[in-house]
Amino acid sequence: MKRLQLQRWSNSVLSTRARTGSHLQHHLYNAVRRQSSTAAAVQPEFSTGEAEHETFEEIKLKTILRRTHSRPNQLKYPSPPTHAAHESAKLAALHARLYLPSRLPYETLARTLVDASADQDPNFNNESLSTLGHDLLTYYTSEHLICTYPRLPLSVIFASMYAYVGPKTLTAMTREWGVEHASSPGGEVDPGLLQFQRLAPGTELQEKEDGPRPYQSQPHWRKTVTSKIFYDNEFGDTAKTAAEGVSADQASATFVRAVMSAIYLHAGRPAAKRFFQQHFLSRHLNMAELFNFEQPTRDLTRLCARENFERPVAKVIAETGRKSRHPVFVVGIFSGQDKLGEGQGASLSEARERAAVAALKGWYLYSPLNVRLPSAMEEDEAAPWKPVHVDLGEVIV
Amino acid sequence: MTVQGLRTVTSAQNGAGAFILQCKRLDLHYNLQGASSHGLRTFVQTLLPKFARQYPQIEFRVSPTPKKHPVVRGHYINGREKPICVRNMQPNEILKKVILLKEASGEKNRRQSKPVRSLNESVRGIWSPYHGDLRGV
Amino acid sequence: MFSRSVLRRFASDLRMSAPSTISGAAPHPQRACLHQTASLKASQEQASSQLSSSKPESPLSATPRAQTSQPTTNQRTPPNNFIPQNRSHTPDEKRPVAPEFKEPLKVTRSLMERLPHLVGQAPHYVVAKLHDKPYLLTPGDHVRLPFLMPKVQSGDILRFNRASALGSRDFTLKGNPHIDERLFECRVRVTGTDAEPLRIKEKTKRRQRHVQQIRSKERYTVMRVMEVRVKTPEELLQEGAVIVEEGEDSPAIEAKA
Repeated sequence: MKRLQLQRWSNSVLSTRARTGSHLQHHLYNAVRRQSSTAAAVQPEFSTGEAEHETFEEIKLKTILRRTHSRPNQLKYPSPPTHAAHESAKLAALHARLYLPSRLPYETLARTLVDASADQDPNFNNESLSTLGHDLLTYYTSEHLICTYPRLPLSVIFASMYAYVGPKTLTAMTREWGVEHASSPGGEVDPGLLQFQRLAPGTELQEKEDGPRPYQSQPHWRKTVTSKIFYDNEFGDTAKTAAEGVSADQASATFVRAVMSAIYLHAGRPAAKRFFQQHFLSRHLNMAELFNFEQPTRDLTRLCARENFERPVAKVIAETGRKSRHPVFVVGIFSGQDKLGEGQGASLSEARERAAVAALKGWYLYSPLNVRLPSAMEEDEAAPWKPVHVDLGEVIV
Repeated sequence: MTVQGLRTVTSAQNGAGAFILQCKRLDLHYNLQGASSHGLRTFVQTLLPKFARQYPQIEFRVSPTPKKHPVVRGHYINGREKPICVRNMQPNEILKKVILLKEASGEKNRRQSKPVRSLNESVRGIWSPYHGDLRGV
Repeated sequence: MFSRSVLRRFASDLRMSAPSTISGAAPHPQRACLHQTASLKASQEQASSQLSSSKPESPLSATPRAQTSQPTTNQRTPPNNFIPQNRSHTPDEKRPVAPEFKEPLKVTRSLMERLPHLVGQAPHYVVAKLHDKPYLLTPGDHVRLPFLMPKVQSGDILRFNRASALGSRDFTLKGNPHIDERLFECRVRVTGTDAEPLRIKEKTKRRQRHVQQIRSKERYTVMRVMEVRVKTPEELLQEGAVIVEEGEDSPAIEAKA
């Protein structure tokens, strides 16, 4: 609180005729402090010109007076008023930090920071923006994944979608963009802070009771991967809701999606695509770490049968210390003359499993050269479309 | 279910795609009357406006602190902060310190022996003693 | 990069006549986030008026404004609050010099035959040399140079043009001693400077009780590798490469044993 008080004082400091605060000023200042959680809303409007120098103090006093009287006005609304967006230093800094296009106004950026739990009015919160942004993000990510890795199993596609545009990733991005959370939403909050009604500690997120899935209420109901495509979201999760408030993860994810759609709406599709490539696709993800096989040898046999390869045979390539405490076996899996994969382990079966995993990953992680995405056709004068190769997917056992 | 997907989070590589300046806020604290704050007071009046316009990514906060030496404090994206005492410094010296804070990543200073740090796997693979031909002794 | 800085002096008058390749992009609005020092309202209004008049040709200026390896301070412009924002504001003599090649790139026939194998096998690595020190780089790597690079600031993009090896998992293109810089592209982004913890070295002299303390705290430039790309044979031919027969010191692609 002390520092906030100091920030208020800095206006008088900057003028050459600094004066100590009178009683009236103290009163006004205190009123201002209660009004604002940060000092940004109390920014005075004075120009650098020397002509206004004599009226400097008066202007300042007037500003403070006006703001003090507008306090009930500010408290009237659940989110900061629109004109506050131009006075927030945090918001301007965020705009510049993300190199957002100049056509994207501060007001829209301020709106992306207001969650639906903070302001119910759909004209002032980011719910509609985030719906569009969510669609854009999932579209660009899924087309990138499916065209670059056309043989990925569906469960791995779900996992990689989660890794690229899942709520955890979006929360991390919000942090890396330097966005701070407001402790509680309100009209007096700096518009550069992320505003949402926090979830009460210990609240359990409930699955929606009346989900679209039939037989949901039956015990031992198994969710298949195919049903996840129809009924669940892009990560294979069922939607969960809480009675009041959202978690910080949800609010951050909504914010990032809203920024994406704000760029799309104000600056156009190419800008949105570039933003997606620079902020989302440039992040590091090792696709080979997303796989978890239960019975890789069985899967590989089925895969070879499906693709009309010869039946896979495991052969020992090299070994050392078979009768020692630390034996090492190198096992390769061959289909006819072709070596499909190779693994190394402390026992023959372990090495064989690893070889099968390597062979399966080599198959599933195939990536063609010169991938062209379907969204490239949206540009003007695009070359005629050639269909991309998308494989059958995983083997079904 | 034959294969399951494991859930992870992509890790950031700042600068590989978009670049975000790690310094997000600079606080400048000075004393109103103190002689040690004279340099910072001059800096705020002369050099700071131009610097702030040059780096709009950074939020600046200027505030007097009574009976204290002047401090410039940088706040970073990773949540850390870096304070530098600028008592008795000239405005040009303070500008150098402010540039230092702007360029810093906010990480703790560490000794680092290898110049390159990579998340990628080795491109050529790892050498194995079990492969290749046997060599004569 | 440093050899070019020598060239810069000679090439500056040449570029005075030649048009710049970088079109003057719409200037980024000068956004003041200066907090409570000065509102800068006048300059903001001026910037917004510029903005409305300028045509929106670059919708998302997500690339940093300062992409040159040179400081963007402008001595020639009047000092009344002018901040250089993009490359068109940088004076001619301070812009990076495009390399000038006396003769077209010569590639041997065997190199052209094996280059598609190298290009098709991602990912790639490059052994880039800076001050004759090798750095093995792959895309996304974090590089901390063992020195503070002068005249760069965070956000600048540099291109490493000297490499001794370039390869993928099974193929390596080795230079003799260096690969021609027209065969590949390796770009890094300067992300800031870093410092080591303060070191104190105690020096003593014989028969003297005084212990001298030497303090040192070096500063280093930190970078991030943006791309490592091998050019395809078609690109090389399009850029005017000439196919020659085998020579003595021509670089060749070696397959892994």
